[in-house]
Amino acid sequence: MSPPIVSLEGLKLSLQSRAGNVDILRGIDLQITQGQSVAILGPSGSGKTSLLMIVAGLERATGGKVTVAGTTLQGMNEDGLALLRGEKIGIVFQSFHLVPTMTALENVALPLEFQGKDEAFATATDLLGEVGLAHRLHHFPAELSGGEQQRVAIARALSTNPPLILADEPTGNLDGETGRQIIELLFSLQRRSQATLVLVTHDDKLAERCERVVRMADGNIRSDDMASAA
Amino acid sequence: MTAASGTVRNPLRQASSPGRIPLALRLAGRQMRGGIEGFVVFMLCVALGVMVIAAIGALANALVAGLERQGRQIIGGDIALSRMHTPATQAERSKLDAVGTISETSTMRVMARTLNGDDQILASLKSVDRNYPLVGKLELRDGAAKNASLAGASAAVEPILLERLGIKVGDQFQLGSIPVTARAIIDKQPDGLLDRLTYGPRILVSTDTLKKTGLAAPGALIRWRYAIGLHETDPSGSSAQALDHARAELKQGLAKGGFIVVDRTDPSPQIRRTLERLRQFLTLIGLTALIVGGVGIANAVANFVDRRRRTIATMKSVGAKNRTILAVFMTQILVVTLMGIAIGLVAGVSIPAILANVFGDSLPISPVISISASNLLAAAGYGLLVALLFSLWPLGRAELISPAVLFRDQVGQARVVPRWPIIVATVVIAILLASLAIFSSDTPHIAAYFAGALVLILLVFYGLGHLVTFVARRLPRPKMPELAIALGSIAAPGGLARTVVLSLGAGLSMLVAVALTDASLVSELTGKLPQNAPDYFLLDIPKGEADGFKALVAEKIKGVKIQEAPMLRGRLVALAGKKTEDVKPPVDAEWVLRGDRGITYAKSVPPGSKIVEGKWWEENYSGTPLVSFEVDLARMLGLGIGDEITVNVLGRDITAKIANLRQLDWDSLSINFVMVFSPNTLQGAPSNQLATINLPEDIDLPTEAAAMRAISKAYPTVTSIRVRDAVDSFNKVFARIMTAIRVAGGVTLLAGALVLAGALATAQRRRILEAVILKALGATRRRILTAHAIEYLLLAALTAVFAILLGGLASWIALSQVLDIPFVFSWFAIAQALLLSIALVVVFGGLGTWQVLQARPVPYLKSE
Repeated sequence: MSPPIVSLEGLKLSLQSRAGNVDILRGIDLQITQGQSVAILGPSGSGKTSLLMIVAGLERATGGKVTVAGTTLQGMNEDGLALLRGEKIGIVFQSFHLVPTMTALENVALPLEFQGKDEAFATATDLLGEVGLAHRLHHFPAELSGGEQQRVAIARALSTNPPLILADEPTGNLDGETGRQIIELLFSLQRRSQATLVLVTHDDKLAERCERVVRMADGNIRSDDMASAA
Repeated sequence: MTAASGTVRNPLRQASSPGRIPLALRLAGRQMRGGIEGFVVFMLCVALGVMVIAAIGALANALVAGLERQGRQIIGGDIALSRMHTPATQAERSKLDAVGTISETSTMRVMARTLNGDDQILASLKSVDRNYPLVGKLELRDGAAKNASLAGASAAVEPILLERLGIKVGDQFQLGSIPVTARAIIDKQPDGLLDRLTYGPRILVSTDTLKKTGLAAPGALIRWRYAIGLHETDPSGSSAQALDHARAELKQGLAKGGFIVVDRTDPSPQIRRTLERLRQFLTLIGLTALIVGGVGIANAVANFVDRRRRTIATMKSVGAKNRTILAVFMTQILVVTLMGIAIGLVAGVSIPAILANVFGDSLPISPVISISASNLLAAAGYGLLVALLFSLWPLGRAELISPAVLFRDQVGQARVVPRWPIIVATVVIAILLASLAIFSSDTPHIAAYFAGALVLILLVFYGLGHLVTFVARRLPRPKMPELAIALGSIAAPGGLARTVVLSLGAGLSMLVAVALTDASLVSELTGKLPQNAPDYFLLDIPKGEADGFKALVAEKIKGVKIQEAPMLRGRLVALAGKKTEDVKPPVDAEWVLRGDRGITYAKSVPPGSKIVEGKWWEENYSGTPLVSFEVDLARMLGLGIGDEITVNVLGRDITAKIANLRQLDWDSLSINFVMVFSPNTLQGAPSNQLATINLPEDIDLPTEAAAMRAISKAYPTVTSIRVRDAVDSFNKVFARIMTAIRVAGGVTLLAGALVLAGALATAQRRRILEAVILKALGATRRRILTAHAIEYLLLAALTAVFAILLGGLASWIALSQVLDIPFVFSWFAIAQALLLSIALVVVFGGLGTWQVLQARPVPYLKSE
């Protein structure tokens, strides 16, 4: 069996607030194998987005051990984490988070430019074509619809061909039909690239499309099932 | 529901519509519940500009009030009359005596020498009578009595004189043709201000002693002064009517005497005018600071409105009219403006008081701190006008925000032009502001130049900001990601480029202009003088001894250059048949009519002069008296060829016809006269010679001192003035004025920095979000830092280049058109501007970037 691409052992996260310490994650153990699609399901405040952020190296755990693509995140500095993300992780946010000062093409090419890839723009053009935006290459985010922006964000997340894709409520800001199209796109691209997809959602139906569904509540994992539909 | 329930009032509603406060005020009040966040920079911009204008006004007022309050002290009485050469005649004296108690004094420059003639010093001799001083007290060391100390051939002297001559109290020194005993040391003189403008240490003698020295010979440069204490005096001085009456009486009785008359209400018109000019100039610079701050005001209002787009749309969707929206936001702007004005006024009024406390003793006039309503009103008025000028446009756009914003955020993002009344109001305020600045100045053309330059500079930087954005958007994307990010940031529609360029550019241009003007003035005064200016002026060389004098100088100093001219003093009393009292000259020409001018006569065109109109007289001309007049002054006074002028020389009126107009190089400091007469006009009048000496460059100080000692030993009545010393003391005053101007110019940059800080703060959230996204995509901190550094350095360098060009142009125009001084380019000034620009951007931008790099990504990345 291949080693897990994500390994969480006794993961804890406490944040300080005016009212005192708040335990967000209370000791999570989770292993995700390469190529799997995993839904993390739970109500608001259950800690699912925080978990995703810790896996992405954007938030630091206050306890436990986090290993991503064979690298232990504890003890790494911010730049080390940034380089890891650049090579191994693609992230899709609920609010898209495109760089507003760059065109669609530039947004998608940016991670490749960071890696010094000469073919950054050619790859980005192909990817935007694949997500159906060949005609929107030179548009700025403000000139794109929500669905189009999320397509750009997905193309950007996949541009470096990362083994791990993290998606945080990717349809949360989209209408039903657009959301459905985005999910189709995300799953088809994931299957083709054989990347691991970790999808945070509070939508049961969407979660059921994943091979595995991890349910969270109050900072703990309540259940961890292989989905029947998968 | 019963019918009665329809009449029940909702208690909540009742509580929320208090009294008769207008709707706009109520709504504005509710909007401001959250404080004035977002308006801090706005308030500081208004406060800073108002503070500068109020402080300058208050300081100038304090100095002028000090001048007036100490008027009696300064002029030594209620009225003072003075004239050169001749003391009051018996008839004149009796007219003076009729008005009040008189104290007669005289001042002149003399050489005080040791008895053996080995050493000497230029001193300022003052003869006083028994009544001196009418006001204040002469303080002599160890309580020595004045009359006793000056009795016989004795003098009271300032300590430096004793030191310089190596003698002590009780010893004698040579004054003119007699030895005089230094009997007492002067600790404090009552009429200090006027005396501070003299050369050398003071020697006080009695009028009798002066006569015995032989120094008061006819033609000597001696100023006779009559201080009058009016008869009817109350403890605070005589009443205003008595003063006016006495002045009128003297004017009538002594009309032909050629006296200069001042009274305690305006003891020094010249100082008052200088203060007034400085105040006007510094006020213009303060106004610039305010207008540069206006950019920050506009930014703050636009940003404030932008953040309330949804609130405005909501208010409109429930029935608010455009006007209501405008009134609500205008009310908030006015509240913040008034707060800024209040802060500025308090700070502005406090500054002179602090300065007076710290520097009070070193100022020539003790400032009298008072609060002047007109000064405060002017500063507040400027603050209000500038705040309105820069707020109206963004507010005009706010009222037009569509309620559809609630449904689709992109709606209404397109540029909207405000309604025409708003545009008209903006234009009217701009005109009002410019008029106020221009017409409150007594040199409106300079103020107009200034206003024009300011508008031009703002327009250029506004255009440059747009151009930079436009070009950055169209440049091909560079391969280096950091550069690409930087250019993307510059090109972004809501990016910082335009604000940074405008705010920094305007402030920096002003600083460059001040720095380059300063460099040119310093270079003109220090760089040019040693080559062209004479080293010594020698006054009162007896006419018959001029040849012997020249021979002696040439013998003592090898390679010396001597220039000489006969010199008399005369006062213009009529121009083209009109009495000078009735002539209203332009400010720049007033000095010619004020008091005595040196006049001369010559057979041929004097060196350094050029005839620009008319003809010079023949060498042996003997017809109607003719005069040659300096061309610029002649034009200012409305004089032309053929006009007659009358000069009072030694009490006699001499009329001559203008034969030609000459151009002079005043800056050379060589012998220059406004009026040169044909020899036949003045040859009979007792005149002395004036000479200038240019020393050879390699002369050392001991040789120079020995030569000058020998000259003054042989010609005791000759006064020598080392011009370099005068230039030095002028430089000191000049340096203080330049410091004031630099500080005021610096305030403009400070205003620019404030605007910059405000703009950066406004954009900070966007920048942090962008950096966080970049981090999420794999960008290291170094990469983000480099991108920011490139962006800021590009903007700072570009802005600095344009600021240097525009500031240089402004300085060149000011120097060549207004001051008539050649423009000197100074790399130092340029380097200073570049460094300051980069430093400001790096400091403010760096602080922002540091925050950006420290930011925790999660709060920004989680869904909003």
